[in-house]
Amino acid sequence: MTTMTTRPGLAPRLAALTKVVELGPGRLDKKLLNEANGLLLRAGDRLKLSSEHTVVALAGGTGSGKSSLFNAISGLELSPTGVRRPTTARTHACVWGLEGAGPLLDWLQIQWRHRFSRASALDKGDSQLHGLILLDLPDHDSIRALTDTEADRLIGLADLVVWVLDPQKYADASTHRRYVTELAGHDAVTVFALNQADRLTTEELAELVIDLNDLLRREGVEHPSVVPTSAVTGRGVESLKSVIATAVARRRAAIQKLEADLHRLEQKLSQSMPMGEALSAPSTVDEARRMGLTDALCDAVGVPAVGEAMENVYAERSSRWVGWPYPRWIGKFRTDPLKSLRLDDVGEEIRGIATTSVSAQSAEVANAVQALADGLSMGMHPVWRTAVHQAARSRSGQLPQALTEDLAEVAPQLDRVPGWWRALKVWQYFLVVAFVAGLAWLVVGLLMPGQLPPSLELLGESATLPWVGLMMASVLGLGALSGIASRNFVELGASRERERLEREMRRRVAAVSATMVVEPVERELGRHHSFYTAMRDLSV
Amino acid sequence: MRPAALGGPGARTTPPASDGAAPDTARPWDRQEPRDEQPPATDASSAEPQPPVTDEEPSAETRLHAGEEPPAAVEPASDADPYAAEEPVSEADSQVEPASSDFAEATVGAEVAEEAEDAEPDERADSGHPADVADLAGRAEPADSDEPAEDADPAQAADHRLSDANDTADTADAEDTEDDGEPADDADEGEGDTSASAGTTTSDDPKTAPGKGEVLEELPAEAAEALMSALDALRESIADLRFGLDLPGSEEAKQAQAELLAQLEDYVLPRVRTSAAPALIVIAGSTGAGKSTLVNSLAEKNVSRTGVRRPTTGTPVLACHPEDRKWFAEGELLRGLERLDKPEPEAGMRSLVIVATEKLPQGVALLDTPDIDSVVEEHHDVAHRMLDAADLWVFVTTAARYADAPAWNLLRLAKERGARLAIVLSRVQEKSADVVLKHFVRMLTEYGLGDIDRFVIHESKVADGRLPDNEVTDLRLWLAELSVDEERRAQAVRETLNGVLNSFRTRVPALAKHLEAQVAFRAELRGDVEAAFRGALVEIDKTSKNGSLLRGEVLARWQDFAGSGDLMRSLQVRKRSRAAKQAPERVLAFKGAIRTGLESVIVAAANRASEEVVARWRHRSELGAKLGENLDRPSDNLVRHTGRTIASWQEHLSELVRTEGVAKRSVSKLVSFDPDSLALIFMVAMFSGGNGEGVPHRLVNALLGAESLRGIGAKALSDLRARIGVLFDEEAMRYVQALDSAGIPDESVATRLYQATYNLEVAR
Repeated sequence: MTTMTTRPGLAPRLAALTKVVELGPGRLDKKLLNEANGLLLRAGDRLKLSSEHTVVALAGGTGSGKSSLFNAISGLELSPTGVRRPTTARTHACVWGLEGAGPLLDWLQIQWRHRFSRASALDKGDSQLHGLILLDLPDHDSIRALTDTEADRLIGLADLVVWVLDPQKYADASTHRRYVTELAGHDAVTVFALNQADRLTTEELAELVIDLNDLLRREGVEHPSVVPTSAVTGRGVESLKSVIATAVARRRAAIQKLEADLHRLEQKLSQSMPMGEALSAPSTVDEARRMGLTDALCDAVGVPAVGEAMENVYAERSSRWVGWPYPRWIGKFRTDPLKSLRLDDVGEEIRGIATTSVSAQSAEVANAVQALADGLSMGMHPVWRTAVHQAARSRSGQLPQALTEDLAEVAPQLDRVPGWWRALKVWQYFLVVAFVAGLAWLVVGLLMPGQLPPSLELLGESATLPWVGLMMASVLGLGALSGIASRNFVELGASRERERLEREMRRRVAAVSATMVVEPVERELGRHHSFYTAMRDLSV
Repeated sequence: MRPAALGGPGARTTPPASDGAAPDTARPWDRQEPRDEQPPATDASSAEPQPPVTDEEPSAETRLHAGEEPPAAVEPASDADPYAAEEPVSEADSQVEPASSDFAEATVGAEVAEEAEDAEPDERADSGHPADVADLAGRAEPADSDEPAEDADPAQAADHRLSDANDTADTADAEDTEDDGEPADDADEGEGDTSASAGTTTSDDPKTAPGKGEVLEELPAEAAEALMSALDALRESIADLRFGLDLPGSEEAKQAQAELLAQLEDYVLPRVRTSAAPALIVIAGSTGAGKSTLVNSLAEKNVSRTGVRRPTTGTPVLACHPEDRKWFAEGELLRGLERLDKPEPEAGMRSLVIVATEKLPQGVALLDTPDIDSVVEEHHDVAHRMLDAADLWVFVTTAARYADAPAWNLLRLAKERGARLAIVLSRVQEKSADVVLKHFVRMLTEYGLGDIDRFVIHESKVADGRLPDNEVTDLRLWLAELSVDEERRAQAVRETLNGVLNSFRTRVPALAKHLEAQVAFRAELRGDVEAAFRGALVEIDKTSKNGSLLRGEVLARWQDFAGSGDLMRSLQVRKRSRAAKQAPERVLAFKGAIRTGLESVIVAAANRASEEVVARWRHRSELGAKLGENLDRPSDNLVRHTGRTIASWQEHLSELVRTEGVAKRSVSKLVSFDPDSLALIFMVAMFSGGNGEGVPHRLVNALLGAESLRGIGAKALSDLRARIGVLFDEEAMRYVQALDSAGIPDESVATRLYQATYNLEVAR
């Protein structure tokens, strides 16, 4: 027993089919997937089993004479024939050259008592049939067959199927619709024996053969091989034998059958999942799309708004620390609307609002992810489109949370008070103190000259007073100037901080989306691509 | 034996052909077992010493008279026939069955039965003499002629019978494989039973028969009218049926609808209108079974083309007596078909060739149909249409085909419809005839069709498209009997009609059921749409209340707004300031952020809803998947519409705040506020949900008062909900349109169908 040598085409195509089956679940129609799986198993089994043998099945309707033909070919009364319909209920097998056929027969599930061998007793004269396993199938069209799939099964397994037709039933829908049309493309491994030819005159037979040929061609059998036979008179049996013998001698029927099956399956597959432009669909998420996604996610988090808010809030808050204190004090004398509303504590809370951290809005996140999936799956088969969407969404439940947490680490602390703000505040107060001191001096010098205790005489010195006045003016000016200057510093720092912040946030958003969205999507895209690559390989 | 004879009336209760167990044994079937057939004949004949003359109807032919005594015939027949042994004899009706096991004889029997039925009981008593039957039967059937003559006395007959039974034992054995018991015994028992039951049945028979007759027979004018109008109503209701949705089973339903309609128009209505019309015998069967050959042989004229090509006949061919030609050519039966005088090659399936021939008896017409099982599927439809219009079905199969699945499907159909059926087994090879016949009969019996008329045609040389004459003698005879005996014919016609009307009881409701299934399916799909969008609305509601809207940009903008002091600035102490219009860009940005946030929530919900609808549809069926194609996205307009909706809602809210949010008097004296900003704060308060703890809540509360906060809040929310509802309705509309484009089944038609079926039952 040797392993079958496969023609270059078959092995890679089977490999491609394996790939398709691997990637198919959830994408391919279940029935088709099962069929593909079945074919793979069958191909694997058949190729492992004896390549020296060719399984030829005699199939046909009840009463077409399968068993008679079987007996005629084997030259023995192996399969009971009869007039009762249906006659044969179990498959009979006759083997020419038994060696190595056992496993094959086991695989075909032929019962032991229905196996016959022509190995020893009957070998003479039939050497050209060596390697033939001839099966006599039960019918497929009687009421019994409605509940019995034996014929169906073996028609699928056999390497070569001989359809035994008879003048009465050759055009039955049960044969043609269920099998012949289905097996279009199997020309090389299908033979039609027009049995019971003895019942017809020569002219009738000729007419019938022409009609049958036409019929078969209409059904997609391009080169029907029709052999008129008569199991009764033995006419035509020899030519059928020689047709079978040719196939047996070439040892190619098994491969051809598998090729034909593969071809048929491939057609069905590409019908259900048309190739189209599938291979030009993106297999990775390109830079532009990643950017688009990051942008959309940043919007969902509100990155620009966060930056702006930070800038504004800093500016507002800084004025309380580094600003010129006097206008602030004046402002305090203004009626606080909140106070008049008896909502004094609300002011504190409002300031508190500005301390809440960043968060992502789930709806916008969902929309961003959706948009990415939409863009990527454009033009794909609906099944794959759904798959891409699902992949994109696979972790979208945690995505807003992850974004929120990740960004919270870099979120600006809006209530932060830098040290130099404090220093400036001290400086401003120092200036205020200086101003107050000057003012006191001035008041004392002007109002109480001479009444001062001697230790403070200097204060009364009128000559110093203008200087004191000048000093006070400069203290005020210095305060105003440093207020303006530090405010500018604050704003500059804030805008620089904002830039940094936005960059950092973008970076983090991109990182999170890469692991949580892009990665699963790319996996799916890769699957899509390899699936269609396999489909292409299959069809070559 | 006598009792058996009396039992006859009992047999009548069951009108079917089964009665046919006429005494003439010499049927083709029996021919194979000449041994068997003899005895019964003898029996029958012997059993009836009296002459047949008793008949009440002088007009009837002698043969027919013979027919009148079925019961007697029945018994002997059953004895004689090995098959009979199998049949259950215990019930009153069962008498019928044993009889029927004789194939060809059935004709006579059936005839008899019919006649018997019509006959008055007392007459029956007279006529009920088996003797005549046997006698006549003998005469009637050429085949019988060998042995009919012997008129033994009853006792003798009885003896005979017993011995016969024994004789036949082996045959019976062979047949009845499982039960190898003594068939002879069986037979005996059978007899006993029958006679007994016969006795009992006789009494009620007269009653039952007329009772039935009323239903079937000449109806009083108004009843007939009622029936007609009920049928018309039914037809209209069926014609009104529309199956828009391509659900599994809808193809079948459409076909069933067409069939029902065709049958009503082709057959039922014309039949009810004129019941006295000639009977249409439709010959149907497998391709290559020899239907055309059979018709040609019977018509003794090549009316239908025969040949080796399969399928041979494409156009139905009707052969009838010239007298009947007019009825078929102009009548309403099968009026949808174009009449042709001779077969034309290009004649389509929608035509009917009518050929008149003297050789066919009057009152019966043979219709040769296309096959039921060839590759040309149109043929099957035509054949079924013809069968639907048939008064009698003759099913032709062959020795090679009798186990074919399509053949049995047809038989099942016949059984379901309660159609009068006869079976012809053709192409039987002489040498294998016994085995094949037995097997076939057993299959038929197992199938509950053991009692129908059967004919056998042997495989023989077909010359010029016809069989040798002797092969069809029995059939010809059968036809002749049908032709002559109007009562019997009418009976057969009515029976089939009745069967068809009965079949409406299940077929019409089945249609209505499918329609209802469609309606239900549509409702389910619509329900899916509604559920999905309702779910989306609920979700938006939830989002708008639990504060999850205040995230991302909205949050940042709110922080911006509050933290930058704009919030405070928007509240101005009245006296001081008129400079309210500050920092509009921040307010606008905040407003924009809220709008975008809401939009995205709505769009996301719509996305989910769309996907959910399509997923649900796909899950329901393939059709759902097809309808949902390209609908798994919200419409392109959604985003635009949503933006517009939200913007106008915001305007509306500002307006509300402005007009209704009249500040508390105490407040308005002190503070003025920017209504736009306040509206924003209001929105934040609304969307942050919760308990009125937050800043915005308290602010708004303080400014406007709790009352108006609640009032405006409720109004604004319900307004928002309504606006989103409108948006979603628009979206949902697309799905409804997709559904509508697939067709809208009308539920009321289903109700009308039920009503029409009911009315029909009442009218009957």
